[in-house]
Amino acid sequence: MLVKYEFLKILRKKSTLIVMAISLVLTAFLFGLPIMQFQTYNQNGVIKGTEGIAYEKAQSENYSVLLTEDYITESIQEVQELFENPDNVGTDGNEKFLIGDAYWNEIAPGEKMLNLIAKAYSNPNEYVSYNHMPNLDVSKGANFYKAMEIKREKILNAASSDLSNEQKDYWRNMARNIDIPLQYGYYEGWEIITTSFELLMFAILAICIVIAPAFSGEYQAGTDAVILSGKYGKTKLITAKIIASLLFGTMAFVLHIIVACGLPLISFGVDGWNLPLQIAGLTIPYPFTFLQATLINIGVIYLVQLAMIGLTLLLSAKMKSPYLVLIVLVPILFIPIFLTPSGATGAYNLTLFLLPYRAAIPEFGKYISYQFGGLVLDTFSMRTIVYAALTVITLPLARLGFKKHQVA
Amino acid sequence: MELQLQELNKQYGTKCAVNNVSATLTSGVYGLLGANGAGKTTLMRMICGVLKPTSGSIRLDRKPIDELGEQYYTHLGYMPQDFGFYPDFTAREFMMYMAAVKGLDKRQAVSRTKDLLNMVNLKDVADKKIKSYSGGMKQRLGIAQAELNNPSILIFDEPTAGLDPKERVRFRNIISDFAKKKIVILSTHIVSDVSYIADTILMMKQGQFILQEPMTTVTDHIKGKVWELLVDERKADEYSRHFSVVNLHHEKNMVRLRIVNETAPTADAYMVEPSLEDLFLYHFGEESQEQEENKYVG
Repeated sequence: MLVKYEFLKILRKKSTLIVMAISLVLTAFLFGLPIMQFQTYNQNGVIKGTEGIAYEKAQSENYSVLLTEDYITESIQEVQELFENPDNVGTDGNEKFLIGDAYWNEIAPGEKMLNLIAKAYSNPNEYVSYNHMPNLDVSKGANFYKAMEIKREKILNAASSDLSNEQKDYWRNMARNIDIPLQYGYYEGWEIITTSFELLMFAILAICIVIAPAFSGEYQAGTDAVILSGKYGKTKLITAKIIASLLFGTMAFVLHIIVACGLPLISFGVDGWNLPLQIAGLTIPYPFTFLQATLINIGVIYLVQLAMIGLTLLLSAKMKSPYLVLIVLVPILFIPIFLTPSGATGAYNLTLFLLPYRAAIPEFGKYISYQFGGLVLDTFSMRTIVYAALTVITLPLARLGFKKHQVA
Repeated sequence: MELQLQELNKQYGTKCAVNNVSATLTSGVYGLLGANGAGKTTLMRMICGVLKPTSGSIRLDRKPIDELGEQYYTHLGYMPQDFGFYPDFTAREFMMYMAAVKGLDKRQAVSRTKDLLNMVNLKDVADKKIKSYSGGMKQRLGIAQAELNNPSILIFDEPTAGLDPKERVRFRNIISDFAKKKIVILSTHIVSDVSYIADTILMMKQGQFILQEPMTTVTDHIKGKVWELLVDERKADEYSRHFSVVNLHHEKNMVRLRIVNETAPTADAYMVEPSLEDLFLYHFGEESQEQEENKYVG
C-alpha cells in the first residue's frame, strides 16, 4: 500500500511528466542524431539518411566473412595488385590511394574491414588505412593474429602504460579468450550504441531530479510532521519511499534504454549483435560480442543510476529543499565531463574513470585496471563494485537521515 | 490513559523555546493558549515525537515514549500547524495513504476514510484533487486524517487559522464529537476557539506553563480585576494608552471600555465577570499588542 502511494506521489506530479518527457525527447534526439546525419558515398555522390543506411547495409553483406589467415592474405594481396597498376593510383602529395573503378568497385564496399586489417600491422596510436597494405610482406602469409598480439604487447609494455606484471598478465589472459579467427560483418547499429553510452547521463540526471523531493519535498511542504508521527512514519514509510524511488528509477531507466538502443537498432538493424568487439578495435582485450558488451555496460550504467538515486535520497533526507539537493548533485554528475584523462594509469586517471560521467563510457580499448595486492580488476568489475557499494551505503544512510529528522 | 510531561526543555542555541514544562494529562480537552512564539508548537512537536527534547521526558502510562516506539504512535493523531498536503492526491487517496502510514489494514482504511470524510462534510468532493480545495476544506481534511487511527491522544496545532467564523464553529463541533475519552490538546491563540470546548486551560508564556486550571475556575485568578466604564472618545484614547483594554464598544457619542486592571481604573468603573479572553489579555496584553504592531511594521 505504502509503496503504491509513494509511487503515485512521484508519478502524479506534473514536474515528473515534464522532466521525463524532456529527457526522453533529448535521448531520442541524441541517439537519433547519427541516424539523421548518416551518409555514405558511391560513384554518384552522397547518399543520406535511411537510403544511405540501406545502401551501406547491402554493400557490407558481401563482407560478412570469417577473417581467416588465408582470407586476410588474399585480401592484402588483392589490394597490393590494385596498387601495382599506376592507372588505379592517385596521390595527395603525401600518400598514395586507389582511385576510379579500382576504389569504387574493389575497396569502397569493404573499406572499413580493409582498414581494420591494415591496423593490425601498425604501431599503437598510429592511424593507417588500406593504402598501407602495399608495404606489407605477405609472401609467407599475413600472420594477422600474430600481428594483433604483437600490437597488444606493444601497448602493454609501453612505458606510458605503466602496468604491473600482474596487470599485463590479467589482460593477456583475458585476450586469450577472444575467439579467433574473428567473424567480420555489419555492426553499424551496435557501433552507435557502444560509442554513445555517456549520453545516458541526461537520463540519470532527469531521474534524480524527479527523485530529489522524496524526503526534502516533505520538509518543504510541511508534511514531515504528520507522516513522522504516524505508526510507520519512521520505519515502513521510509522503506516504501526508497522502493518507490528505485522502482521509478528502474522503469524510467528501462524506458530510456529502449529509446536509446531502439532507435539505432530499428534504423540500422540488429545485425552484428553476435560479432566480436575486436572488429571495431583489434586491440580491445574483452572477449565480448557487441550484445554482451552493450548489456554489460548498460548493467554498469544501471548501477551508476542506482547509486545516484541512493545519493539523491541521502541528500534529500538531509536537505531542506529539492533544489539544494540538485545544487550538490549536478556538479557530481557533470564536472567529470570537463576533466580529461591523461592516460589509463595513475591515481588521477583511475579515479576519473570511476566518476559517474566517465563510468558510463565503456573504454573497451583502454587497458584500465585496478590492482589491490595480487588482485587485478578491470574497469567494469571496479565500477560494479564501487557503485554497488555506494548504493548499499547511501540507502541506509538516507533511511537514517529521515528517521532522525527533527521537525523544527 | 495518562500522558506525563516531565521537566521538558528544548533549547535552540541560547534560546529556550520550552523551559521546564511539567504536566499530567488525562482524558479531556486541553486548550493550550499562548502568544505567538510562546513555545506551543515546539511543545506539541515534542509530544508527537517528531522533535527530541533537550532534556526531560514524555511518558504514556509511565512508559517513556522513546521506549514505546511504534506503539506510542498508534495512540497519536496530529494535525500540525501549516499542514501541507499532496496537491495531486484526492482526499480519498490522501486518507488511504495516511491510513497506511498509521498502520491500518485496507478494510479498516476504506471504512474509516468513508466515515471520516462524511463526518467532516467532504464526502461529495472526496475524489477531487486537494489542489482544488479551499483553506477550510483542507483544514477539515487535516482533522479527519488525525482521527483516522481513532487515537487516544489528539493534538491540533492552530487548527482554526485561516478559517471563517462558520468553519470555526463547525470545527469546534467536530472536535467535541472526537473528544470523548481522549486526551485532546488544542493549541491556539484564538481564545474563543477553546472557551467553548476546553475542559482545562494550559497557558504558556516564554516556554513555560504559567497556568494549568480547569476551565470552570480558570478565570478566578482575575476575579475582581475586570472593569467596564462608559467614557467619551477623548477619554477612551487616554484609557487605551494607560490600561489594558480588552474591548471597546461605541455607544452613540460615548465608548464602553472593558479593562483588565488590578484596581478600578476610575471611580465610575464597575466590576464585571471575567472571561477567558480577559485572562489571556491580562497575561499577554503587551505581547499581543507588540505582535500586532510588529505585524504592520514588519
